[in-house]
Amino acid sequence: MKFKNLICLVLSVFTFIFSMQASAHHSTTMFDREKVLTISGAVKEVQWTNPHVAIFVFGTINDGDTPALWLMEMTSPGNLVRAGGWSRNAVKAGDKVVVDFSPLRNGAKGGALKKITLVDTGKFYTADIRAQESANLEERDQK
Amino acid sequence: MNSKHLFFMLALMVGVVTPSFCGAQSTKPIINPPPTAKDWANLAKLPDWSGVWNPKISDQDNQAKTNMPPWVPAANELIQFQLAEEKAGRPPPLFVNCLPEAMPSWMLITHNAMEVLFTPGRVTMLGESDGNRLRRIYTDGRSHPEDPDPTFHGHSIGKWEGDTLVVDTVGILPQSLIAISEAAGVPNNGDMRVIERIHLVGKDELHDEIEVIAPHVLTKPWKTTRIFFRQRARKFDIVEGVCLEGYFAPGKDKQGNDVFLPIQHDVGGNRIPPQ
Repeated sequence: MKFKNLICLVLSVFTFIFSMQASAHHSTTMFDREKVLTISGAVKEVQWTNPHVAIFVFGTINDGDTPALWLMEMTSPGNLVRAGGWSRNAVKAGDKVVVDFSPLRNGAKGGALKKITLVDTGKFYTADIRAQESANLEERDQK
Repeated sequence: MNSKHLFFMLALMVGVVTPSFCGAQSTKPIINPPPTAKDWANLAKLPDWSGVWNPKISDQDNQAKTNMPPWVPAANELIQFQLAEEKAGRPPPLFVNCLPEAMPSWMLITHNAMEVLFTPGRVTMLGESDGNRLRRIYTDGRSHPEDPDPTFHGHSIGKWEGDTLVVDTVGILPQSLIAISEAAGVPNNGDMRVIERIHLVGKDELHDEIEVIAPHVLTKPWKTTRIFFRQRARKFDIVEGVCLEGYFAPGKDKQGNDVFLPIQHDVGGNRIPPQ
């Protein structure tokens, strides 16, 4: 294969990969905000990345369910720090958790995280971007 | 030499000398002078906009319902379709391509914080999200270029009227959206001008009174205000926010090197849930 053809092939593959993807700032009405489900299980992975943090939880929603992997999405790291007192290491892989979330409307195993509670400590974090709507939030945190 | 020849000679001289003289003037570079100690000292007289400013998102939500831009019919039709789609749980993915939210949408619908820097002759706004989200507002008295290169954030010039920064922005890309939410917005289609009056309200609120003049999609100028809250806690300092990071997850290559691995998203911008 000529070098030029190889370059073209690589570029084509990149184009294909990127065309499959979309990300960034989006509305959240794909989640059914009128529903709140609760999953109990263990954190498999935390992706502390912009523009949306994600936590993968392996667990069950109803007693007797076969455990499954669910994807929980949130706002950006900066917003989580201001709105919910998060840090990069607040929740880690292996942590036992209970998560309240609004599920995707299409029935896929995903949702918008509302509250995550660490079973071992009882400490919890929320993810409401509208919970940062006052100045000097540090004073709130000190109370 | 008679008078006719003299006139001809003078005309020739003017014809030859004037263009080169004027041409030399027009090509002379305009220099941004180095700031003086007085320039730096004068910054201290400006209002204090230090800290981190996060938006009042609930008011953005409210404005979308109570202060609709005066759309032309075609734009209104698009907005109504988008709002219906969003309500049905199929939000149009307007900002999922990681291009800058751009002007004026950055100011209108951002969910992320910003900071504002004053330096001599310039005010700079830096956003927390989107790798290249920044606005340069020139306060050195310059005018807009006659034919500015269109950009996502346009060409901004500002002047202080008391404690209010008045910003005039032109040269915005016609593709830039006038958005009322992350799922509803219309391209401005060119010739847009944005006028802002930015000022403190009380001690720790920053208000941006925005006027959008977009003759191709609005029947008249649209006015709205956006509110930002000041945070001073160091833990709330602006963090790096690279939008494209969301396309990837950290992983390892065959040699064990740390690399970013592409991950799939659905059309709405979400990671694909486990199957």
